[in-house]
Amino acid sequence: MSLTDLIYLSQKSLRSNILRSVLTSLGIIIGVSSVITMISIGSGARQEVEEQIERFGSNNLILRSQSSSTRGVSMGTNSVNTLTLKDMEALKNELPAISAIAPRVSLSTQIIANGNNWLATVTGTTNDYFNLGNWKFELGRSFQEDELDSGSRVAIIGKTVQKNLFGTDNPIDEVIRINKVPFTVIGLLDAKGGTAWADLDDTIVVPLKTAKQRLVAKKFPGDQIRSMTINVSSSDLLFKTEKDIDTVMRKLHKISANGNPDFVIRNYAQFLNARQESSRVMSILLATVAGISLIVGGIGIMNIMLVTVTERTKEIGVCMSVGAKKRDILLQFLIESLMISLIGGLIGIGLGLGVIFGVSEYFNWKMSLDYISLVLSFVFSSSIGIIFGFYPARKAANLNPIDALRYE
Amino acid sequence: MIKINSISKEYVMGDNKLLALNNVNVSILEGEFVSIMGSSGSGKSTLMNIIGCLDVPSSGDYFFKDDKISNFNSNKLAELRNKEIGFIFQNFNLLPRLNALENVVLPLLYSGKNQKERNRLAFEALENVGLKDRIHHRPNQLSGGQQQRVSIARAIAGSPKLILADEPTGALDSKTSIEIMTILNDLNANGITIVLVTHEDDIAKYGSRIIKMKDGQIIEDKKNVPN
Repeated sequence: MSLTDLIYLSQKSLRSNILRSVLTSLGIIIGVSSVITMISIGSGARQEVEEQIERFGSNNLILRSQSSSTRGVSMGTNSVNTLTLKDMEALKNELPAISAIAPRVSLSTQIIANGNNWLATVTGTTNDYFNLGNWKFELGRSFQEDELDSGSRVAIIGKTVQKNLFGTDNPIDEVIRINKVPFTVIGLLDAKGGTAWADLDDTIVVPLKTAKQRLVAKKFPGDQIRSMTINVSSSDLLFKTEKDIDTVMRKLHKISANGNPDFVIRNYAQFLNARQESSRVMSILLATVAGISLIVGGIGIMNIMLVTVTERTKEIGVCMSVGAKKRDILLQFLIESLMISLIGGLIGIGLGLGVIFGVSEYFNWKMSLDYISLVLSFVFSSSIGIIFGFYPARKAANLNPIDALRYE
Repeated sequence: MIKINSISKEYVMGDNKLLALNNVNVSILEGEFVSIMGSSGSGKSTLMNIIGCLDVPSSGDYFFKDDKISNFNSNKLAELRNKEIGFIFQNFNLLPRLNALENVVLPLLYSGKNQKERNRLAFEALENVGLKDRIHHRPNQLSGGQQQRVSIARAIAGSPKLILADEPTGALDSKTSIEIMTILNDLNANGITIVLVTHEDDIAKYGSRIIKMKDGQIIEDKKNVPN
């Protein structure tokens, strides 16, 4: 008996009781959709973390000034700049785990070029900024030593700034006015895309010295800076270095161990870890649900198949009387339970996809659809159909023809 | 064609042993139309089930053509039922989900014929029993006589040498019974050996030989001239 004939006979008997077939596969439906959702959440979270690291650079800590509120009045994070270039040098010297530090001053201001107007964030920094932040150049180059030392009026712009000032034209060697000061564009950064809270490409980078002299002289007098990006040589040292920086900074700023610091250290890895951890917990939860419902679903299939075998005992006898071999009967019932579980698997995949798209649309949660998970669900549901369908099928195949035929 | 040598069949029911067949010897020649008669419990059905390879004897030897069937395993028995034997039952035993054509195709499925061949043979068989305009009807859309004709078509579709009919008219009125017996007669005239089990004298008289059974033994075996 060929496979197509077996499938034909099986679908005939499944279709004769559609409601029962679908109810039987309910466990598989839930199980498979959970598996798909679980894997998507897991791989979505992992992918998001990887993307973030790609965007912000790995092993980075951000040290930022923060107004102390010792006198009970917080003056807002922007009002006081407590970090200085001296702090930066001291950290570099005292902590060998630090491989590089990029200082940063910034302001939001009007940019005029090419007859266009645009409000952008201007950052004054050094070349380390590009390395640490994983910035790549689409066109042009980074700063040269003499440009940094002399405070040249050169600027490197992001894609969003290019788009709004120059459209798709090459911006290199064009002049832009930042706060009315003319700068020559020497580089164009590769697009990074936006995060939930900011467009990273809406940026202009100028040498630190230039910014301090010509753009933010009042805001950041002397050697004051806004923040620094600190790169740690290895991820194992990240948390230890975070503590060390805190110690050194307290010493430099003469703040006691339990006093309110005038700086804050942001560990991006921490945030990512938390995000990864929460999605891991979610995945474990779903995996448990999936596992349980797949097993329960399998038992459901076995149960119904046993009932079916009993119900159709006479029919089995008839098939045997016209020449069905044990193998034919075994295969027919196996294929029936396989079809139940596969149909359940398909509906489950559909449901899972629905959940994935629903959740990612509604919660804006990154879920990536893994094709492996589709294959996995297929393998899962079909093996459950075969495993739990085998016992009833064997029971049917081992019936004695005359007993089966006489069964009422 | 069939040779049965001192066959016994014993059923164990709890502590009781029931001897359904007690040392039965019988031979059936090719082309015969044998009616087996007897009251219920006489062993006639058991004998037929053994002849039809649905059941195996407790002791004794059964030869079909030149094969010693008592040695066959379940696969070989299934093959023999498929190729050489057709069954007709009292209550038709058609599969309710399948239409007439599909029911007739069933034995051909198990013999591994391709679809075109299957449908051709099944259609021919249905044509032979006069049901070619009912091939897409389900059993519950057919009358008792029509259902029995479908089951005859199923029995002959694989062109077997032997047809076993177990009370084929038991569920039918007398007019339809005559139609069914006429079909069986025609089949026999075409060379198919027929073994019929019945308890009705009128029906048994269609046979060319009548065997009477009682208490698991053959008590009478005589030629009959069909009317």
